[in-house]
Amino acid sequence: MLSGIKTRLSNVRTIKTLCESAENYALQDQQRQAGAEHFLLAAIDLPDNTARLAFREVGADAAAFRDAVGAQYGEALRAVRVNAGEHISGGLTPEPLQAAAGLYEAAPSGAEVMKELAANRNDHRPLQGAHVVAIVAAMEHGVAARALRCMGVDPAALKTAANKFSRASNRHTGLTGA
Amino acid sequence: MIDVRQLPTPDEPEEALAAVVALRRAADLLERRAVRAALKQGWSWAKIAQALGISKQAAHKRLSDINAQENPS
Repeated sequence: MLSGIKTRLSNVRTIKTLCESAENYALQDQQRQAGAEHFLLAAIDLPDNTARLAFREVGADAAAFRDAVGAQYGEALRAVRVNAGEHISGGLTPEPLQAAAGLYEAAPSGAEVMKELAANRNDHRPLQGAHVVAIVAAMEHGVAARALRCMGVDPAALKTAANKFSRASNRHTGLTGA
Repeated sequence: MIDVRQLPTPDEPEEALAAVVALRRAADLLERRAVRAALKQGWSWAKIAQALGISKQAAHKRLSDINAQENPS
């Protein structure tokens, strides 16, 4: 029972970290609300390292996802013959927006991630980055899906890898990976 | 200039929708840079709103965090 309470407290802390980090990524990306791609970036930064391990399992470097978010914007613009320059078409620019006051609000794709995390919360012992990876990898469309395609990542394989590492985390709560 | 004949056709919805998202984002970025430049040149919010074709209140609500002194790289 005590370990259950500890896990729940740990999960609340992880959710808080995820939301704050996703919002920071969104603001750097000139958006007020965090989308699924920003939650994935936040998950990659979590110290449990399971998100990075899931990417590595499919032969990809999680650190490349940030650039892939920018690359997919450029690719989409080029498809309509618009060459807007790297700082306009690219993903993350050096002029972040300021955080707005008020209640936390995610973009629809980010809200979907949060909703899935809440629906599966009983499986999170504890909540780890790989859980977020599995949810985002299952999204067929949107910026995150297109960025994964830009990286040449097979989303189904990434989801399988993420599930593997999140199951491992349920068995060994001290998973650190390398 | 965007040549509308080059836009993705409706039978390529994935590409077309991705372009919409990227264009909106590019427009937002361009808007912020243009407003910052206007403020630097001493434009009033009324004048900026008129140029953007929106109300002064709407312009202020959405863009008032822009600081004319910021120097984006």
